Amino acid sequence: MNGWMGKIVRIDLGNLKRETVAVSDEMRRRYLGGRGLGVKLYSDLCSSATDPFDDDNALIFMTGPLTGTLMTSGRYQVVSRSPLTGTICDSSSGGQFGAALKGAGIDGLIIQGRAAGPVYLSVHDGEVDVRNASAFWGLDTQKTQKGIQAELSSKASVACIGPAGENRILFAAIMNDKDRAAGRGGLGAIMGGKNLKAIAASGSRPVAISDPEEYKALADRLERIVDKNPVTGKSLQVLGTSVLVNIINAHGMFPVENFRRGVFNDAEGTSGEKIAETLLQRQSACYKCPIGCGRTTRTRDKQGEGPEYETVWAFGAHLGISDLPAITEANYACNELGLDTITMGSTLGCAMELSETGAWKETLRWGESGKLLEWVTDTAYRRGIGAELALGSKRLAAKYGRPELAMQVKGLEIPAYDPRGAQGMALSYATSNRGGCHMRAYMIGPEILGHPVFLDRFSTAGKAELVALFQDVSAVVDSAVLCRFLQFAVGISTFTEMLRTVTGLDFSDEELMTIGRRIYTLERLFNNRAGFNRGDDTLPPRFFNEEFQTGPSRHRRVRLEEMLDDYYAVRGWDRNGAPRPETLAELGL
Amino acid sequence: MVKFYGLLRRRLRAATVEVAGEDLTVLALLRRTEEQSGQSFMDELLDRETGLLAGTIILINGENIRLRQALQTMVKAGDRLDLFSPAGGG
Ligand code: SF4
Repeated sequence: MNGWMGKIVRIDLGNLKRETVAVSDEMRRRYLGGRGLGVKLYSDLCSSATDPFDDDNALIFMTGPLTGTLMTSGRYQVVSRSPLTGTICDSSSGGQFGAALKGAGIDGLIIQGRAAGPVYLSVHDGEVDVRNASAFWGLDTQKTQKGIQAELSSKASVACIGPAGENRILFAAIMNDKDRAAGRGGLGAIMGGKNLKAIAASGSRPVAISDPEEYKALADRLERIVDKNPVTGKSLQVLGTSVLVNIINAHGMFPVENFRRGVFNDAEGTSGEKIAETLLQRQSACYKCPIGCGRTTRTRDKQGEGPEYETVWAFGAHLGISDLPAITEANYACNELGLDTITMGSTLGCAMELSETGAWKETLRWGESGKLLEWVTDTAYRRGIGAELALGSKRLAAKYGRPELAMQVKGLEIPAYDPRGAQGMALSYATSNRGGCHMRAYMIGPEILGHPVFLDRFSTAGKAELVALFQDVSAVVDSAVLCRFLQFAVGISTFTEMLRTVTGLDFSDEELMTIGRRIYTLERLFNNRAGFNRGDDTLPPRFFNEEFQTGPSRHRRVRLEEMLDDYYAVRGWDRNGAPRPETLAELGL
Repeated sequence: MVKFYGLLRRRLRAATVEVAGEDLTVLALLRRTEEQSGQSFMDELLDRETGLLAGTIILINGENIRLRQALQTMVKAGDRLDLFSPAGGG
C-alpha cells in the first residue's frame, strides 16, 4: 500500500488486549486519515452517551497518508470527545511524532480502557508495548520526554502529558518533541484518566511512494513555491506567528481585557518584532519543514519555546499585561505542565472580570504579571484558586452567576481575533464543531490578510459559502495530514497532487472537497446527537450587544443571524442545524 | 505619519517616518517616503505589473485602501498610514 502503512492498532489498557483494526480501502479513500479517519473510527466505537472519562472512551492518535512524506508532514491528530466541551474534538500537533508513528509501522493507535497504574506505550516495528511509567508520573513534560528517551532510545519521539493531564485538568495538553502541543480541547486529561503518561514511537520503516520520480520533482517544486512566497518564505521565518499582534491591533480587533476593547496600547511591546529583537534565540522547525515558524527564546532566567501569537495575546493583552518576559515564562510553564495556553489565559481574563465586578471575591487584577506563574502552576495542581481556574471559563463564570463573561463557544475559549472586527470569523467561531476555534475556517485570511482573496471584513455577504468551503479544505488538510500554514503558499489542487503522487489513487479536487464536507458533516452529526444544535451555534452576548467606542472596529456588532441560515442552506442542514437526510445520503453517511 | 511594521521595519531600521505634503495618492506618498528615507521598500509591497501584492496591507487610519481606491486613494494631512508586507500566522 502506498501512503498508508496499513495498520491501525487498538489497545485496551485495562486488559492489555491488542488487535489490528480492519480499515477497508474504501474507508481510507473516504476519510483519508488524521482527523477524518480518526473521527470516523471514533464515531463507530463510541456514542454521544460515552463520557470523555469513561474507561470505554476511545482516545485516537492518527497520522495520514502524507505523514512522513513531503514537507510539513510530521504532524499528528488526536481525536476523542473533549472533556471541556462535550463535542467531538481533534487536536493537532507538529514536531516529529506523526512521522515517528509511521516510522514505527502504524497509521494510528486507538486507546481504550484504563490502566491499573501509570503506564506508557512504546511503538516500534508495528508492535505496541505497554511499559511501567511509575518513575515518570508527576514529572513535567520535558523531564518525562527525556526520561523515556533515556530508557528507550534518544531517537524516540515522545508525546506525553504533564501534571495537568495527570490531574485531569479539562484543558490539559498533550506535548511532544519538547514543546509542540496538541493543545485545544483538553485531550491530555483523557490520557491522565487512563493512567497513560506517554506514547513513544521510533523506527525507520519507509512510507511507500507510488511514483518516486514525480515525488522528487514535486518535493523540489514545493520547496521553490514555499521559498518564493513572502509569507512562508520570509515573514513566518523571520517573525513567527506573532507578526499578527501589530496587524490585528491596527485593525482594532486585538482583544483587550476579556474582549472589552480592541486596541492594546502596549501591542508593540508584545509584538513579533519585539520578540525577534529581545528574546529570540533562533527559529525552530517541525519535521521536513522549510518554513520554521517556531521560536526558541530565552528570558533572563529561562529558555524554551514560544510565545506564539495566540499565547502572546492570552497572557498579554487579554489580561492587560505587557511584560513580555512574564508572558513568555507563563508560556514555558504551560509547556512544562501541559496546559492549553489559550484556555488558560482566557480563563484568567474571565476571572479578572468576575473579580472586578465583585461576582467573585478573589482579587485577580488586570495587568498583574507577577502572579502569572503562580496562577498557571496552581491550576495544573488544582491548588488554591487554581482549583477554580481549572474549571475553564464557562464553568467558572456560570459558578459565579455571570455566564456571559466567559468568552467561549460550546465551552471552548475563543482566540485572539475579536469577531466584531470580522463577520466571517464570527460565523466561523459560531459554527466550529469543536467550539471557539480559529483553525476550522481561518477567515482572518481573506478578511484581514488578503489571502487568498481580499474581502470586506464588515460585510456578511458571501461569508456563509466561504466559511463552509474553508471548513472543508481544513478538514482535508487535517486528514492528509499537513501543516495548515502550507496553505499560505498552496491551495487544494496542490494537496490533490500531493495525495495522488504519494498514494497513486486518482483523487480530484472535487473528491477532496467532498471528503472535507463528509468529515465536517460527520462531526456535526456527533455533536447533534450529543445535544448541540442551532442554539449552540452562537457567541457570547458581548459581541451582539456591546460596541467598541474607539479604534478601527468601533461601533460594530456581530450580525450572525444574517449569515447562519445561509450557512445551514449551503451545508444542506435544516434550520435547527441538523444535516438533512438527503445531505447524508449524498455524502454516504 | 507613515508606520512600518515587520519586515519593512527591519529593512528601514525605523518604525515611523513623517512625510511632508498633502493631497497625494498612496502611491505618490510611498514614492515620497522612499525618497525621504533614502531606502527602497516598494518591492516588499507592490508588484511592478499588478500593483499591490497579494497579502500587502495598507491602512489609512485603520481602513484598508483596497476598500477605497487602492493605490490611488488620496491621503490627507494628519492621516496615519500603516504598512504591512504580506504576513500570516494563526
Ligand atoms: S510551519 Fe511551523 S507549525 Fe507548520 S510544520 Fe512548519 S514549523 Fe511546524
